[in-house]
Amino acid sequence: MISVMKQRLMVRAFTKTLTLIPLYRPSRTAFCTASSSFAIKNVTKSNFDSSLADLRRHVRDSDFVAIDLEMTGVTSSPWRESFEFDRFDVRYLKVKDSAEKFAVVQFGVCPFRWDPTKQSFIAHPHNFYIFPRQEVGADDSSYEFLCQTSSIDFLAKYQFDFNMCVKEGISYLSRAQEADVRLQLHSSHEYEPLDSQVTSKDIKDVPLVRMADILFVERMRNKISDWHDDLLQIRNGGSQRTPEDSNVSVNQFQTIFFKTRPAIKLDAFTSRQLRLIKSVVEKSFNDLAYIRVSDGSCFQQIIVYTDSRLDRDLLMKEVKESHLKEAEMKIEAAIGFRHVIDLLSSEQKLIVGHNCFLDIAHICRKFVGPLPSSLEEYVPLVQNTFPFIIDTKILLNANNILQLKMKKSSTSLAKAFAILCPHIASGVGSFGSALNSSVAVEVQVDDMRSSNWNSGAKHEAGYDAFMTGCIFAQSCNHLGIDFTSHSMLTKQDKLQHYINHLYLSWSSGDIVDLKTGQTRTESSALNSYKTQQPKILFPNIVIIWGFLSKLKAREIKESLTKVFGLTSVTSIFHLDKTAVFVQFSKPELVSDFLKLKSEMEKKKNDAIYVLHPFSDLLEGGLTGAACYEVYKEICESPVSKVLFADQAEAVCVNSEAKVLRSMAHKTDSFADSESAIDSKTAETSGEILGLVSC
Amino acid sequence: MPPFQMLRRRFLCTQTSTFSLNQTSSNRRRPQWPIKQVTKSNFSDSLNEINTHISNSDFIALSLHNTGSYSSPWHRILPFDTSEIAYLKAKYAANKFQILQFAVCPFSLRVSNKLEAHPFNFHLFQRDELKIGSPCYSFSCQPSYLASMAREDFDFNRCIYDGISYLSRAQEAAAKHQIGNPVSSGYVAQSSLSRSVADNVFVERVKTRVGHWISACKRSDMKADDALVNSLRKLILGGDEYGSRPSLNIDVCSERQVQLVFEMVKSRYENVVPLTIPAKGGGTQSVRVVLTSSKEDRDLLEKDLKNMEEEQSKSIRGFREVIELISASQKPVIVHNCLNDFTFIHSRFISPLPPTKDEFRSSLHSVFCDIRDINHLMKEVGPLNKYTNLPSAISYLKRNFFAPVEIDITHKAGMEECKNHGHNVVRISELFARLCFILKLTPEAQHDNLDGPLTKPYSNAFNLGSNGFQETDSINIWTHNPKKISINNLVFLWGFRSGISAGKLKNMLCKSHDVLSEDDVFDVRLIDKNCAIVVFWKNGLSEWFLDAIGSGDGLRELAAEGLMVAGYDTYTRVCKSEILGTDLAASLSEFDRASRDHVDDSAEVYWNSELMINFDDL
Repeated sequence: MISVMKQRLMVRAFTKTLTLIPLYRPSRTAFCTASSSFAIKNVTKSNFDSSLADLRRHVRDSDFVAIDLEMTGVTSSPWRESFEFDRFDVRYLKVKDSAEKFAVVQFGVCPFRWDPTKQSFIAHPHNFYIFPRQEVGADDSSYEFLCQTSSIDFLAKYQFDFNMCVKEGISYLSRAQEADVRLQLHSSHEYEPLDSQVTSKDIKDVPLVRMADILFVERMRNKISDWHDDLLQIRNGGSQRTPEDSNVSVNQFQTIFFKTRPAIKLDAFTSRQLRLIKSVVEKSFNDLAYIRVSDGSCFQQIIVYTDSRLDRDLLMKEVKESHLKEAEMKIEAAIGFRHVIDLLSSEQKLIVGHNCFLDIAHICRKFVGPLPSSLEEYVPLVQNTFPFIIDTKILLNANNILQLKMKKSSTSLAKAFAILCPHIASGVGSFGSALNSSVAVEVQVDDMRSSNWNSGAKHEAGYDAFMTGCIFAQSCNHLGIDFTSHSMLTKQDKLQHYINHLYLSWSSGDIVDLKTGQTRTESSALNSYKTQQPKILFPNIVIIWGFLSKLKAREIKESLTKVFGLTSVTSIFHLDKTAVFVQFSKPELVSDFLKLKSEMEKKKNDAIYVLHPFSDLLEGGLTGAACYEVYKEICESPVSKVLFADQAEAVCVNSEAKVLRSMAHKTDSFADSESAIDSKTAETSGEILGLVSC
Repeated sequence: MPPFQMLRRRFLCTQTSTFSLNQTSSNRRRPQWPIKQVTKSNFSDSLNEINTHISNSDFIALSLHNTGSYSSPWHRILPFDTSEIAYLKAKYAANKFQILQFAVCPFSLRVSNKLEAHPFNFHLFQRDELKIGSPCYSFSCQPSYLASMAREDFDFNRCIYDGISYLSRAQEAAAKHQIGNPVSSGYVAQSSLSRSVADNVFVERVKTRVGHWISACKRSDMKADDALVNSLRKLILGGDEYGSRPSLNIDVCSERQVQLVFEMVKSRYENVVPLTIPAKGGGTQSVRVVLTSSKEDRDLLEKDLKNMEEEQSKSIRGFREVIELISASQKPVIVHNCLNDFTFIHSRFISPLPPTKDEFRSSLHSVFCDIRDINHLMKEVGPLNKYTNLPSAISYLKRNFFAPVEIDITHKAGMEECKNHGHNVVRISELFARLCFILKLTPEAQHDNLDGPLTKPYSNAFNLGSNGFQETDSINIWTHNPKKISINNLVFLWGFRSGISAGKLKNMLCKSHDVLSEDDVFDVRLIDKNCAIVVFWKNGLSEWFLDAIGSGDGLRELAAEGLMVAGYDTYTRVCKSEILGTDLAASLSEFDRASRDHVDDSAEVYWNSELMINFDDL
């Protein structure tokens, strides 16, 4: 599962499994039945429709659905990783940035259904390859995505098939994109009658400048008129021409019937010639209509004979309607993978993920619409899409029984799977030696079934979703949830405390409740060691960047304490090598510092300032500093420079640089307004938050 | 991961690619030149091969395949862009997208119009091979670009799994510090070192320490002590092993002390080799002195160290080795779109792109002294600005000129045909050969007199702005006679109903004021569906227009309808900002609000209505 924030962790987990596999493979092959080695269900463009039909049935019957996503990256720059000094709103902005920039390339969906007769779960793991290919619409920029080199390398390490993804991946439209495309379609059709009215005026605009054009137009006029006269003669029962004659005159025209009317197909003309023909038809023939019909994949131009003006209008209307219908069908087809999300959403099943806040953000961004700018607005969006989400990582960390089972080991997906579901992980099967408390999971792929299936393809979305589901099923069993009772899992009292609670950031233990939108920090034993650390008070924090690289936290602290006193600096934390957070002991010191800094910058040539303790900090003249709210703004920016100092400069110079700088100048009033802005968050979060100082 | 799983995936992948290949190869005609495909596995062999071809050839053609080219229609280089803005846009794209394939084709033009070509196609993927922090943190992809590559059967797996990595010159310099391997070279003895007292104390201390250590080492050589004594001695003396030789680390506090240790060691001990151990953040952490048994042994060690350094830098440079070979050969480099290609090459293989076009030009010139752009040569032949893609340009030449060129590719590709990529580089060579023939730049002339009057104007005429906004006026041959206008006469207009046509917009403006209702006062073109550009044919009118809408005086109605305007300077600021934004109208309004400083920039651009982008094309 790539969405685990720390990639290093995942790699470590991988090396462990690598060494483990050879150890237990002999035993597994010994127990394996032939059926257990079948492949996971891979779904691509070619088998999507049929798979979707099956999936609908499986999801409808399921008790819960486990999901997992593989993305092209996690953080768009190193400083966008999760930090101790990130407030809840900043954490959300970082997740939002990730969901906006990176693409989802694989989507695992695994419905689990309890079979009371077999006393076992039936799982249907699906592994969807998806790719943001643009199928409809004109605007390409929204489809562009970012790749984090290390993540791509990571996917490659697990044999991810990039060719399959790009060539065969299923495309999709979000609900918002669909609405846009439909709007475009309908507005263009609304204006079309207008255009046809002004065509007579437009014809003048088609310039007949070239001699060749004039000749061509004359020739076409004659040919069409011949064909037209022929038609009338036949109709009036007049004498027919000899076949040879008609062949000569109409050799480039092929007479066909279009909606019971005689018509000519225009083949082998250039687009300019077609435009000229169109103008000739519209100018010189009242009973002929020039229309464009789509012939499966390509467009075909035809000229149709109509009996009357009324008939012509009728024909045009018919043609327009069929165009509209076709476009609608194209849009319907372009929705693609979103049908799966719509299915999960409409069935209101319990969605199970492992550390899935980022996954859910990706789903909302890719399949619903643009993400709102704040966590408060985002939470109802999630609730509307998925009313019940459970995060197995929360479950494992928050529940005492499960923590005991986990023996306080890492709650990474692979590790948790190996500990909680050894009977599945090892492929031995739940019979015989397995403990009574283990839940049996039977896997079904198409017509093949196995009670000890294990593809072992870790970091493949479909298999990861399967593991997540198994962990959840096993956890429910440990919690004493009775699957056989007819009550739904979403109504289970024992789960109520965990449903819709997600880790905003796993490393800091920040949890968001999707029902209420409230945030809190986990107070489990895991995080207890942090309580001795100084608390993070956001109004006391100043962010400094762009100083010379030789300056380390110690030097910065020294120069600050020389001015503001020994106890003035509570902690210093490096974002990257170009920037630090400094927490002062009092919020006033933030404004004092910013004021002093801007004063010194104004008089930087004065001799006394060379001896000032800040001179080291300001050396080079590129040092910038700002309060915490500016940090939030920098995180909000769509720009992603690798180094924080470059990012801060780009954001500040380009957008509201003047505003920010002047904020730094008007320090007194600004300090007040600051505390007013974030008093709510500061009170709720700042007080509780623990901190690791450097 | 169990092997069957891997097998299955591999199997699936080859299956799909061969399947779609059959589809495409039946659909489109594609020349099948044998092009050597190079990946990580056969890179070092190919390097020697290409080296000989480069030195034996007259020209080198290059062609790149990237993950995208522009994020938004207006990010393309547009007819009204000055060369500076064209550079900024190219720079933006080069910083954003990544190179996946780099085709190199050393070729010569022989008598009887024979083109002797040796095409190579390198698959690249920049990754963190040395584990020192990724050289390329992330890159953008344009799905439409990738999809069209997929249609040509591009093998993404091969590129990502087995692509050759590389570091730019700037990255290499930074990486060497980070790796922290001992370096022997780099310290030139400076004779005129006036020593302070502290220096003398330091040198004396080091001298005694080294002296003790050497004598101890020699003693232990003579009689074989037991392991315990040996390790105790090691502990006390702080000695260590460097390979099979004894060594000692001396901590230093400054570069000056490094200098002093080197000087002392070199002057006093013949058989001791000093090495610097670089610190992680740059600078030197300590000096390691290695004891050798004899003069021969010392030479051996120094040779080993040199080889090691070379091996290491080879692995660091990776594919850049090829760039260095091309650069060192000083052969003319032939490209099809030099601004785009060389912004990529500069940013990936030399150093980050400088802020201005002039700096870029001079920095690039120091690496590639002779760059020739096919597009530029094409303009000599005729109205070729329309033939921007290679096959259509070649077929144009075939139709209109007699220029027989026989392509002779001697080497064998040694790959299955279906994976044969990089044909563009051969097409560039072919096009260049045909153009040389047409322009009477015969191979003989090339050989005899490279600086002759014939070739002079074409070599190194660096054509920024592929569509003709170069400041060198020598080559503006158009059929549609561009009017030369100042950028001050251009006004950007937005805030109208999305999707309106340029004609309607012009109509609307005409009706708004008497000045605008006259004939031939101004013209309107759409840039994208939300933004248009207005060109005023008379000087001074643009200022009036900007003012009239800005203040709402003369054109109250337009202003009331929400129309917004900005001059060219705002556009320049947007392009300089490095945050181009996908929507030009939104970016313009943001920057227009930010400040209204007027920059007096009277650079000229050509207004060519034929070149103006067509809304239908967008």
